[in-house]
Amino acid sequence: MLCGVKFCGGCNPRFERGKALEELKRHFADRIEFAHAQEGTVYDVLLVIGGCTNCCASYCEYETRKGNIKLWDGSHVERIIDELEQMLKTYNK
Amino acid sequence: MLMTGAQYIESLRKLNTRVYMFGEKVDNWVDHPIISPSINSVKMTYDLAQDPEYADLMTAKSDISGEVVNRFSHLHQSTDDLRKKVKMQRLLGQKTASCFQRCVGMDAFNSEFSTTYEIDKKYGTEYHKRFVDYLKFVQDNDLVVDGAMTDPKGDRSKSPGQQEDPDLYVRIVEKREDGIVVRGAKAHQTGSINSHEHLIMPTIALKEEDKAYAVSFAVPSDVDGLYMIYGRQSCDTRKLEEGADIDLGNKQFGGQEALVVFDDVFVPWDRVFMCEEWDFAGMLVERFAGYHRQSYGGCKVGVGDVIIGAAALAADYNGANKASHVKDKIIEMTHLNETLYCCGIACSAEGYPTEAGNYQIDMLLANVCKQNVTRFPYEIVRLAEDIAGGVMVTMPSEKDFKSDLKVGKNGETIGEICHKYFKGSPVTSTENRVRILRFIENVALGTAAVGYRTESMHGAGSPQAQRIMIARQGNIEAKKELAKNIAGIK
Repeated sequence: MLCGVKFCGGCNPRFERGKALEELKRHFADRIEFAHAQEGTVYDVLLVIGGCTNCCASYCEYETRKGNIKLWDGSHVERIIDELEQMLKTYNK
Repeated sequence: MLMTGAQYIESLRKLNTRVYMFGEKVDNWVDHPIISPSINSVKMTYDLAQDPEYADLMTAKSDISGEVVNRFSHLHQSTDDLRKKVKMQRLLGQKTASCFQRCVGMDAFNSEFSTTYEIDKKYGTEYHKRFVDYLKFVQDNDLVVDGAMTDPKGDRSKSPGQQEDPDLYVRIVEKREDGIVVRGAKAHQTGSINSHEHLIMPTIALKEEDKAYAVSFAVPSDVDGLYMIYGRQSCDTRKLEEGADIDLGNKQFGGQEALVVFDDVFVPWDRVFMCEEWDFAGMLVERFAGYHRQSYGGCKVGVGDVIIGAAALAADYNGANKASHVKDKIIEMTHLNETLYCCGIACSAEGYPTEAGNYQIDMLLANVCKQNVTRFPYEIVRLAEDIAGGVMVTMPSEKDFKSDLKVGKNGETIGEICHKYFKGSPVTSTENRVRILRFIENVALGTAAVGYRTESMHGAGSPQAQRIMIARQGNIEAKKELAKNIAGIK
């Protein structure tokens, strides 16, 4: 599964956004490919990582098959893992 | 095409920019120890644009070319763009604890874009097309542009044409078939030496008799007849000391100002964006000032974030972090800093489209923003000094801390004595304590005080300039009506 990643610009993040992505990468190892989102690529899902509740990253320009999921707090990592695991189940069928 | 930070520095080396400092020409100014920290600050605007963790703020899609450009050369297309500008500035303030110098260009682009459109509409000129072509050149090559407004101004009681010396405001001295010749100077120009180009604007609203001063144009930094004299900063020669590091407070980054002199500089017509349209000088000045007053609600906040962090660390290292008054002072610093940010975001959120299509900030809120900036950073840094303690200005030098010279009866060196008597809390080393205290010293009264204190006072206009705008925009008559209605006055 290909997951596009879009960070907000990080003007005053309340947690380490890069570390959150690293955690997800470790968890999904060979099962999900995470790549910085680029226009012209179609992603299975887009992960938007914001540094605060505003989660102001622009992401409308990216194409996905299964929509977007947002992470804007370090405590969200577990929820994101659950959501991606669910998607993987459908994806693999 | 976005440049990398390294490519930016190499691009500066290719210019034949004339720079003078301490009465002498500086040939290799890119590597000069007094100048290079300010170049590093600009370099950060390139480095972060390459990093996916920051690109959402640092870049934008050009409405001119459709390509991704550095946000510093972008025309704001929405209130979201205006907010992201402020957030980008906060980010860069955090990363450099300095003025990163590229905002003046961005603010000039946006004010020139809308003003040239309106000049053309009235006079049938072609300034807007020329300006859009110029901006495309800037965007395509990812250039740094010094948006230059402030003239030396001479006797403030006199208009440009009344000055004893007519060169105290930049003026047109000759109009030719192929362009114009300009003479004069722009004072305390932020980042001017580190810029590839200079975009010149008038400094005040003008009357018809002063139409020779109604001029806007762009020239390369190394154009014939242009040179710059570096503005010195408090404690700047510490950077010349051998092995200087801790005593600098901020070794890597800094700001920069210079006097930019136009010694009969020729400007071809395709680089001229205003020529004697005196009735639009005020519009250009007001719009540039508005954007730049918004800017301060981002950049100074970012630097403030670092100062608050430094004050909290100083408290930790002094062993004073549990004192309730220290905690309260850090809360107060945060409150003041976030208030500035609120103003920057608010004037952006309330922005509106100009006739030309780009977005302008809310003028009242931007002026309130900058008025607060003339005060709050002083209080923030005062509280940082309070928490740091007098030791931040009375410590011996870095060389003393490293000295092997034996001076004690038991053979103790100067370094050992310094480390013994300047030790604070056991949570950290003496060196770390000294480092954070020197950082606060630098921002309070060293080189960085230029950017954080005096620039907060006078940059983008001195406090009275904002009060005039607040008075104009304050809507007092409507407020009187509100009071009459409530009080039952007919």
